[in-house]
Amino acid sequence: MMSILVGLIILLSVIVLVQILRVNELVSEVKDQDANEITDKDNNIQGILTFAVFGVLFLGFVLWQFKYWGVHILPPASSLHGATIDTLMNFTMGVILFVFFLTQPILAWFAYKYRGRKNTVAYFYPHNNKLEVIWTVVPTLVLTPLIIYGLNVWNDITGVDTTNSKIIELYAKQFNWTARYAGDDNTLGQANYKLVEGLNVLGVDMDDDSAQDDIVTREVHLVVNEPVLLKMRSQDVIHSAFLPHFRVQMNCVPGMTTQFGFTPTQTTAEMKEQEGEDFEFVLLCNKICGAAHYNMKMKFIVETQEEYNAWMASQETLKNTLTLN
Amino acid sequence: MQLNLKKNKASKQLLWIGIVSIVMFFGGLTSAYIVRKAEGGWLEFEMPVWFTISTVAIVVSSALLLFAAQNVKAGKSGTSLLLGTLLLGILFSFSQIQGWGDLVAQGVYLTGEGSNASGSFIYAITLMHLLHLIGGLIALTITTIKSKIGKYTKDNYLGIHLVSIYWHFLGLLWLYLFLFFTYS
Amino acid sequence: MSEHHKETFLTKYVFSLDHKMIAKQFLITGMFMGVIGMLMSILFRLQLSNPGESFAVLEFFLGEKWAPGGVLDPNIYLALVTMHGTILIFWVLTAGLTGTFANFLIPLQIGARDMASGFMNMLSYWFFFAATIVLLYSLFVESGPAAAGWTIYPPLSALPQAIPGSGLGQDLWLIAITLFVVSSLLGGLNYIVTILNMRTKGMTMSRLPLTIWALLIVAILGVLSFPVLLSCALLLIFDRSFGTSFYLSDIIINGEALHNTGGSPILFEHLFWFLGHPEVYIILLPALGIVSEVISVNSRKPIFGYKAMVGALILIAFLSFVVWGHHMFITGMDPFLGSVFTFTTLLIAIPSAVKVFNYLATLWRANIRFTPAMLFAIGFVSTFITGGLTGIILGDSALDINVHDTYFVVGHFHIVMGLSAIYGMLAGVYHWFPKMYGRMMNKKLGYFHFWVTFISAYGVFFPMHFLGLAGLPRRYYTNSAFPMFDGLSDINEVITFFAIIGGLVQLLFIFNFFYSIFKGTKATENPWGSNTLEWTTPVERIHGNWPGEIPTVERWAYDYSKPGADQDFVPQNVPLKEGETEH
Repeated sequence: MMSILVGLIILLSVIVLVQILRVNELVSEVKDQDANEITDKDNNIQGILTFAVFGVLFLGFVLWQFKYWGVHILPPASSLHGATIDTLMNFTMGVILFVFFLTQPILAWFAYKYRGRKNTVAYFYPHNNKLEVIWTVVPTLVLTPLIIYGLNVWNDITGVDTTNSKIIELYAKQFNWTARYAGDDNTLGQANYKLVEGLNVLGVDMDDDSAQDDIVTREVHLVVNEPVLLKMRSQDVIHSAFLPHFRVQMNCVPGMTTQFGFTPTQTTAEMKEQEGEDFEFVLLCNKICGAAHYNMKMKFIVETQEEYNAWMASQETLKNTLTLN
Repeated sequence: MQLNLKKNKASKQLLWIGIVSIVMFFGGLTSAYIVRKAEGGWLEFEMPVWFTISTVAIVVSSALLLFAAQNVKAGKSGTSLLLGTLLLGILFSFSQIQGWGDLVAQGVYLTGEGSNASGSFIYAITLMHLLHLIGGLIALTITTIKSKIGKYTKDNYLGIHLVSIYWHFLGLLWLYLFLFFTYS
Repeated sequence: MSEHHKETFLTKYVFSLDHKMIAKQFLITGMFMGVIGMLMSILFRLQLSNPGESFAVLEFFLGEKWAPGGVLDPNIYLALVTMHGTILIFWVLTAGLTGTFANFLIPLQIGARDMASGFMNMLSYWFFFAATIVLLYSLFVESGPAAAGWTIYPPLSALPQAIPGSGLGQDLWLIAITLFVVSSLLGGLNYIVTILNMRTKGMTMSRLPLTIWALLIVAILGVLSFPVLLSCALLLIFDRSFGTSFYLSDIIINGEALHNTGGSPILFEHLFWFLGHPEVYIILLPALGIVSEVISVNSRKPIFGYKAMVGALILIAFLSFVVWGHHMFITGMDPFLGSVFTFTTLLIAIPSAVKVFNYLATLWRANIRFTPAMLFAIGFVSTFITGGLTGIILGDSALDINVHDTYFVVGHFHIVMGLSAIYGMLAGVYHWFPKMYGRMMNKKLGYFHFWVTFISAYGVFFPMHFLGLAGLPRRYYTNSAFPMFDGLSDINEVITFFAIIGGLVQLLFIFNFFYSIFKGTKATENPWGSNTLEWTTPVERIHGNWPGEIPTVERWAYDYSKPGADQDFVPQNVPLKEGETEH
């Protein structure tokens, strides 16, 4: 019944549209005009509209969004390297917004200014080598510092010294995260996917000495201003460990280990003060991984050394949870 | 005549550009092979003798085809040489299948427990080459039949010319793959 | 010539060898797929703006199984996203755009009777048609269509246990894409050979219209990159169907440990993006060509810097082969490689900037005639600037860390690739419609179509940058699982609102298209006062394009408003006057 009604409405609107167009064309015919010829009036209206929409409405909408939706942009980074990314981002954003607000108005203005009239002739201007060299060279000059600056930041981030970092493993599977602390020896025990069974959800090889003091947790606690090195593994498909507040992202790929080293600079408590009581650092999955991809999360808590020690003291090592059974 | 020459040139170009895309296809596969090999966990094994026989077969077949084309150009019949090429092409296919048998006997499997990417690559790449070669065999068969019923003259041998280009290309491709597998 | 052959309905409309008919077949198939792809996007937009709410329209299109109670199923959400991407990228913007305009324009603009091989051309369409049927069929299989994203990264796409779409749906997807690649290769070979061999007398390479340059470069890109996609897909098919371990390693799925070891999903990504990035330009370059032509004709001015425009096209095409790694900055690739890819990626900004400035210089002191095609061309310049600029952020490996795979990327590529290419395609349809069907499209509907499209398209895709900067990942069924995204619902509602408006107005375009085929006002031979050769052909469609001799080309395609000429355009077949110099 419903579909018949919808079908009828569509049919009716098509008929109405056809009739409107026919009438429109007949009227033109009576006036001895071609209904689809572009007249000076059309050029006028469309030229003005182009200026109004491209130059005013669109650019106004962009500014409006920055004013009202800018608040949703992530707060400043809560990690050492994140701050350098933020600075680079602001710099790059400044450059592209400058170019954007330079070229878009020119486009809108030209469309309006040079809207066509009968009896005028355009200016024959096929090329000008000097101009073309200028707008090849100027973008190159603008890009050079952007590239150099960007590569510097990238090299700093990927080349960060992790010798003293606390090692934590992030283990991804459909659809949750598990963490493993390397324990007192700061060395993760070997793992093999064939050993995953029962309580040993990460497939840790308990014959490996360095595995004994490893600690498996369901949330991650970090000490503020202490470097960490995250090591990622995956059990099934590709996932991606995304910690937006720390500007950290790295894919988790089955069959290999990836890593990302960083240093948190703000505690959760400080962030709650700044962003509101509900604030939490979270780990998201950012690579399509299946039905509950959108709901794959783990809490990160940054705290002082004392708070961290207290929490750590309440955790069990693998030796206690696995081998005693 | 003018139009015909243009058409001939266009057909040859179509084939050449098609060959470029086939090269890209095998380029993709062999570069995947290199990347994968560099990651380690790679099973090394001997190339089966049958693959050497394949190599000889396809080189000789190319030579025969070369003579066949020359014969036709000189106004003579190329049928028997074409037939020889065709038979060697079939021998090539046969030796490929025998080569796979040898690999299995060596314990190199395409798939399943105990298989290794090195083996899987060999099977996948040689199979793809064989599929392209079967296309060539079909074209050769048609050419041989057309030659038998005298469709080609010394002014009109485009078919043989096109088949030759493709067949020599397949031969070169096999040589590349064979050397690649043996020495990479 | 073949015009004396008697044509039946089948040889004229179905198994036609005539390039103009094949072009129309590509166009109409592409439009049909475009409507389906667009409808899918509206369906999943409803879920994104109103998560968990019940919509009769969802149940109507997806049925009780995929939208129980009118609420979209999460697996089907991913399937819709995947199919939307696949359809728009391959079916609409590759086949629909290149297939239409390469087939239509190449013989007409270079002065040829038809393509080098009409038969291969026909095969190209029918392979495409078969691919379309297989892809559409996959929408009706029990486990649903492919759902691993249009990039089909394994292991997700390799394991039916990981997501239902990776069962039969993914098999059909792979078959469809294989047929599609065959179609593209057949077409591409033909385009290249036709352009190189069949140009009429006087049509030197430096007199080629920019559309033809763009289509030539696109065909070369396709011939070089699509086979690599095929090899990439082939290994995936082996993994899926024969249990090999090219891409699979150390996997436990549904509690079952698979035997595969040693494979690398990263290998897939390398092979995939070696095609995938050139594919972006395969989509964009024809639009650049069309827009150059439309802007020049309707500005009544020569395109500014013809040689620089050709050079920029070639440079962009070349660079597109050495930038694929920028899709993989966060896969743990060697940081040095990341630096190289950042460098090559940002270099693309230079030829792109040259193109933009040349467009602006073409508009300067022009005498602009605002046809709907011209509006879409100007719209293209705007989206090309906007989307190109955000690319500078994404191409920078350090910045990519935090915006990778967020809505920032979705906004970026929809604007620079989606909108720009669609605008180019629509500009082309409006511009060449009189030549295709001998009638004019209704101008008022065209204006209405443009303005609503332009406003709603920016309304959909610009706000996405803010979602991305807020950290929202793409391909999320809903963002309600994370309190940090709670404030974003108003943005999502705005986006969905504009998506619905923008979608509806495309139906008006389709109405205009079909109405004008049958009832539009009659077109003249050269309604836009254009220089290129296609406008010297008669209005009636004939085999062989020109009733008599093919015209000889005497000058380049852009002599608009040339001082000393009798009118503001001089067609390419008009000899130079005494003392007149070329350009």
